[in-house]
Amino acid sequence: MRLRSPAWDGVVYWALDLETGGLDPRRDAILEVGMVPIRDAHVRLGEGWRTLVRPEGNVDPRSIAAHQLVARETRDAPPLGDVMREVDRRLDRHVLLVHHRGVDVPFLRRGYRDAGLRWRNPVVVDTVELLFRQARRAHRLRPELPAEPPTVNLSAAREQLGLPAYEAHDALSDAVATAELFLVLRQALGARTLRELT
Amino acid sequence: MPGAALDPVAYLRATPPFHAVPQPLFDRAASALEVGFYPAGARLVRVGGEPLRHLYVIRKGAVRLERHGQVLQVLEEGETFGYTSLITGRATLDVIVDEDLVAYRLPAAEFDALLADAQFAGHFAVGLAERLKSSLEHSAVATFQSDLSLPVGRLVRRPPLWIGAEATIGDAARLMSAERVSSLLVRGDPPGIVTDHDFRDRVLAAGRGPETPVAAVLSRPLRTAPEGAPLHEAWAVLIDAGVHHLPLVRGDEIMGVVTAGEVLRQSAQGPVAVLRGVERLASRESLPGYARKVTEMAAALLAGGLDAAAIAGFVARLNDALVARILRFAEADLGEPPAPYAWLALGSEGRMEQTLLTDQDNALVFGDDGAARRPYFEVLAERVNEDLELAGFPRCPGGFMARRWLGTLSEWRARFEGWLDRPAPQALLEAAIFLDWRRVAGRLDVSPLQAVLAGAADRPVFLRFLARAALGFKVPASLRLRLRGEASTLDLKQQGLAPVVFLARCYGLEVRPQARSTLERLAAAREAGALSAETEAAVAEAFRFLVGLRLRLQLQAVSEGRPPGDAVAMSSLPGIERSRLKESLRAVRGLQERAQLHFKVDF
Repeated sequence: MRLRSPAWDGVVYWALDLETGGLDPRRDAILEVGMVPIRDAHVRLGEGWRTLVRPEGNVDPRSIAAHQLVARETRDAPPLGDVMREVDRRLDRHVLLVHHRGVDVPFLRRGYRDAGLRWRNPVVVDTVELLFRQARRAHRLRPELPAEPPTVNLSAAREQLGLPAYEAHDALSDAVATAELFLVLRQALGARTLRELT
Repeated sequence: MPGAALDPVAYLRATPPFHAVPQPLFDRAASALEVGFYPAGARLVRVGGEPLRHLYVIRKGAVRLERHGQVLQVLEEGETFGYTSLITGRATLDVIVDEDLVAYRLPAAEFDALLADAQFAGHFAVGLAERLKSSLEHSAVATFQSDLSLPVGRLVRRPPLWIGAEATIGDAARLMSAERVSSLLVRGDPPGIVTDHDFRDRVLAAGRGPETPVAAVLSRPLRTAPEGAPLHEAWAVLIDAGVHHLPLVRGDEIMGVVTAGEVLRQSAQGPVAVLRGVERLASRESLPGYARKVTEMAAALLAGGLDAAAIAGFVARLNDALVARILRFAEADLGEPPAPYAWLALGSEGRMEQTLLTDQDNALVFGDDGAARRPYFEVLAERVNEDLELAGFPRCPGGFMARRWLGTLSEWRARFEGWLDRPAPQALLEAAIFLDWRRVAGRLDVSPLQAVLAGAADRPVFLRFLARAALGFKVPASLRLRLRGEASTLDLKQQGLAPVVFLARCYGLEVRPQARSTLERLAAAREAGALSAETEAAVAEAFRFLVGLRLRLQLQAVSEGRPPGDAVAMSSLPGIERSRLKESLRAVRGLQERAQLHFKVDF
């Protein structure tokens, strides 16, 4: 028997964003973590958390354009182990919310492993997946229109859905941006339970 | 938290009234900030249901405030809602999402904490009484503390110096010189004052000597002000009384004397400074620059937090002093007037509601005994109109200037009676501006003109015509005023102020014909029972707000080198002002509806 899935707003989501030294989760360093929770369908900015991470791994010079972090900034940051324990304490048994699980989840798993933590295998909600789902839904409703792949860039997707433009792109700002995007997509998809979002 | 403030926090910080909250208080509030998304059609609260538990600030989208299915207001970006719920603990309106809404919200406890800041609370407190009565949400204009509201008593440097009335001028001068003061109080009942000006004007210039008793030259009774009076009130007393020394009292006791100079130093651009400038005008050549000084003064007073109606009061006093000065120049050149005359200010100047200098609206009345010497008055009017133009009052395009509008008292009385008895469209346009006349200078007794105005109450046809003209001003429904689209700009004068001014005039003529200012006329209508207290309070508040907003926008235009106008784009206003503007227009439309019934105007 399948358990009944909880109502979508009956669970806590932790929106998370990582800035990394590249796209290879095996080699590249985690440089910054930002997290913010959604409780009762509202983004709780006051519980937002952001930290730099002392790099333990490769930093591809080309990645600097994306995260804008230079070595001087991260040198004195807390080590990865401390940061991952902070991430884990927050995430607990809640839902992990990311924009593109293909990048963030492997990095997190490696971070957990390096920190000697057991990966919790949390329920993951991915706003990129929700964007694809919404595009398919739109196509089903209006099959006469050409099927176009959705815009998945975080800022561009937000703009398309009428969310305000945010200037900053640090990990916490992007976590907040992801959380808001999630609230809009949840509504657009008409999802009522957590299962409909995973 | 490292790094710059999160975007939503920065947005909240930039949104009035949060912009002025002290940092620690703001930080505490911001730490409880939440973001919510609410789809179009969602109902956030229902009349009589659970009240809102948060203060909401709209970031994107719009909400409608409704009652019984009737839309009362639409709120957009930067506007705030929820505080009526928070303050009263009751849900008095339906709040429905009109367009997908992204809103930032603060829990009730944080809102309460912010209310500890007087300025923040002021935004929600002003007009709260009416808001609660009508259960209508609206925000309020800032009424903050400023230098101009400092008690004038703060300027007192020392206790006052006294001298007996039997002392001589020589004694007084020695004491003043030793104590380095410019005035002495004179014992007696009532007490008096002597100043260094008196020594010049009443002693030396009058050929008297140092043995003259003080009693012969003192001034009394004293013009005083309470030591707790705000600085701007002290300005008003100094200007109205035409004195340079102001004794300050606490109860029956005089605590000290402040001089115009001391008051003046509190603000170089204050009205006292401009008045001194007018008094020192040596000749017509020094007139240019007056308008700029008045503009700077208005800007300084507005920045100081003074209400626009009070600023207009100062502007009127200064303009009056200027006209008196200009008339003296003219009389000096043309010789004594052959008959007494009165210089009348018309329109907004007559109502003492002019803030920036606008077109001249004036007229000249002279005694019937001067009928044969009409050319004298024609030249006088011509000169004064020219000099006013030199000082920065443009010619009136409609032509309401004394050079054209002059005549004997009998001629004027006949003209007024004609307007009242035979109302016609052109006559009404003229009447409108002339009905607000005010004598600014001259010795002619103009009470016969006032007597004609008093007859307006007995002419319902005239009042009905006048009211119909006033109802011709179309005030937009506040619901239609949006950030974008057709109704996204407003003419503050034609679509907001003029309808109030015109209708207030109708009420004033009916119940208190000697009243001139719009606020005075509205109050008179309430006292006479012609307007409900609720309507009067709402319209008066709306009028003050509109005058203040217009002045602020016009000063901004002047400072940017643009001609001051009346058009305002909704998108140029912060949310709290947009809310207030829409609320004000609602009040104006409410007045129009009541006036239509009251004056029995049927279209």
